[in-house]
Amino acid sequence: MATNTSDMVHDYRMVPEDFVKHLMSTLVIVVVVVLVAAALFSVPEAAPLTIQKDAIQNPVAFEAMATRDLNGQGRMADYGPPYNHGTGNLEFIFQKWVGDIHPLNVPYDFILHPLAMAASINPAITAPLHRFENASRTQQIAWANAYESALARGTTSTGTVVVPAGHYGPLPALMNDTLKLAESGLMSGALIRNPSVVTRFDNQNYLLFLEGTPMHTAATPLQLKGTQWGIIHPAVEGYPGAWWMTIPTWIYQWPFVASSPANDAIALSIGFVFWLFLALTPWIPLWNRVPQWLGVYRLIWKGYYHDYRNDTGPR
Amino acid sequence: MANWTEASSKHLRSILSVDTWLPDTMPEYAQGFMYMLGSLTASSFVVLVISGIILAANGPASWSYNGAMRFVAATHFWGVQAFFFFMMLHLWRVFFTGAWRGGRGITWLLGAIAFIVAIPTAFTGFLINGDLYSQWNAVQAKDGLNALGLGWVNLTNSGQMFGMHVVVLPLTLLLLIGAHITRVRLKSVVPPYPVDDNQTGGSANGYKHI
Repeated sequence: MATNTSDMVHDYRMVPEDFVKHLMSTLVIVVVVVLVAAALFSVPEAAPLTIQKDAIQNPVAFEAMATRDLNGQGRMADYGPPYNHGTGNLEFIFQKWVGDIHPLNVPYDFILHPLAMAASINPAITAPLHRFENASRTQQIAWANAYESALARGTTSTGTVVVPAGHYGPLPALMNDTLKLAESGLMSGALIRNPSVVTRFDNQNYLLFLEGTPMHTAATPLQLKGTQWGIIHPAVEGYPGAWWMTIPTWIYQWPFVASSPANDAIALSIGFVFWLFLALTPWIPLWNRVPQWLGVYRLIWKGYYHDYRNDTGPR
Repeated sequence: MANWTEASSKHLRSILSVDTWLPDTMPEYAQGFMYMLGSLTASSFVVLVISGIILAANGPASWSYNGAMRFVAATHFWGVQAFFFFMMLHLWRVFFTGAWRGGRGITWLLGAIAFIVAIPTAFTGFLINGDLYSQWNAVQAKDGLNALGLGWVNLTNSGQMFGMHVVVLPLTLLLLIGAHITRVRLKSVVPPYPVDDNQTGGSANGYKHI
């Protein structure tokens, strides 16, 4: 296909160039800038929120979160693909197509299995655990709902969460055992077990365990939440974040996107359309002529145009 | 058969030519800081690869408890900032100069694809840093990927993220940047727009003296 060259000059000189000098200059500039910035400012690192830290700092809220894992009200319990068959975070039909490739049974994986392991060290856990496991699902949910409500008036006494008397079944014992396990620091290990291999690359259950109230409580003061333009904010104040994500972050703030249950799917799809528009610029009529109309190029090639204005003959 | 092999040979000869990669002349309009932005972006990528190799050789999380590795991690962090900073300036420059003209559309497209691939390349790096930022963003960003049917990319699997960040994405980015730069070298940088005081168009040679 013939190339249209009527929108460009053909009358220009070639001037001597030391290309190695050009490349070395840019490399030296970047190396110096980066080394100076690294020496002066180091690298931002905000201490992570460990399960142990959360349990020690917020024991009542921790038990409330763990209880929601048992009654199905937790953030992950009803999430949907790729973890389970729920619908709580089912945004888009594509989400179903991958299936449950990272299976997660929240009550079992997050609470009951870790407690079963802990029971081999502390046999006192066994009786309440069996009582819960042998109860009907309806009964389990009733106990958990009642206990979760009671935790609104929960207090701590000698390291144990105490709630007003009620019909909670084995929940107070199970939740305080879960709290103890978390406070010990052993919970994280129980969540990332994989009997097939000795390596521990997959932190899925450890990271998802704290999703919901604990992570949001930690993220809010740092302005990291999506509604706070969080994607582009650093976790350590004063450092640059991922500012190149400004456009998708801005799309997340659009009212109809922010209020949609499928906000992620919509925001990322619109962001992709923005990128597509940018990528296809050369072939989009009118849009591909905007730079010529804007005239910024006159500043960029100011020297070239100036030389031509003062030139007297062809080159 | 012979036609495409001959064409490929010819194309490869020009790609591999010293004149392509070490030109001793440049167009007079392609001078100054505006024409260093692409090279500054590529230089930032070189710094990222070198610092990244040192980090990878010492293993994940080494940078969190070893002072020397922390310094290397800092160069890697600021290298990312430099990379995106110069790439964004480069993007503005090529946009305002209509750099896709004269059959350079694919060069632009390759640059745009490199830009969108650079975003997850940086993001996976943030995820394997292991701090609160990693923790929060792994959990938050998974919803978007899951919603789009990309749930096989498990942001909470640091092994998968390490592989993505250290091998899959930087290699992809390297190929894209390499193809982008190759096309820039083969087709040179776009000549200026024709300008005349009355804006009536170019002369016979495409340029009207002003």
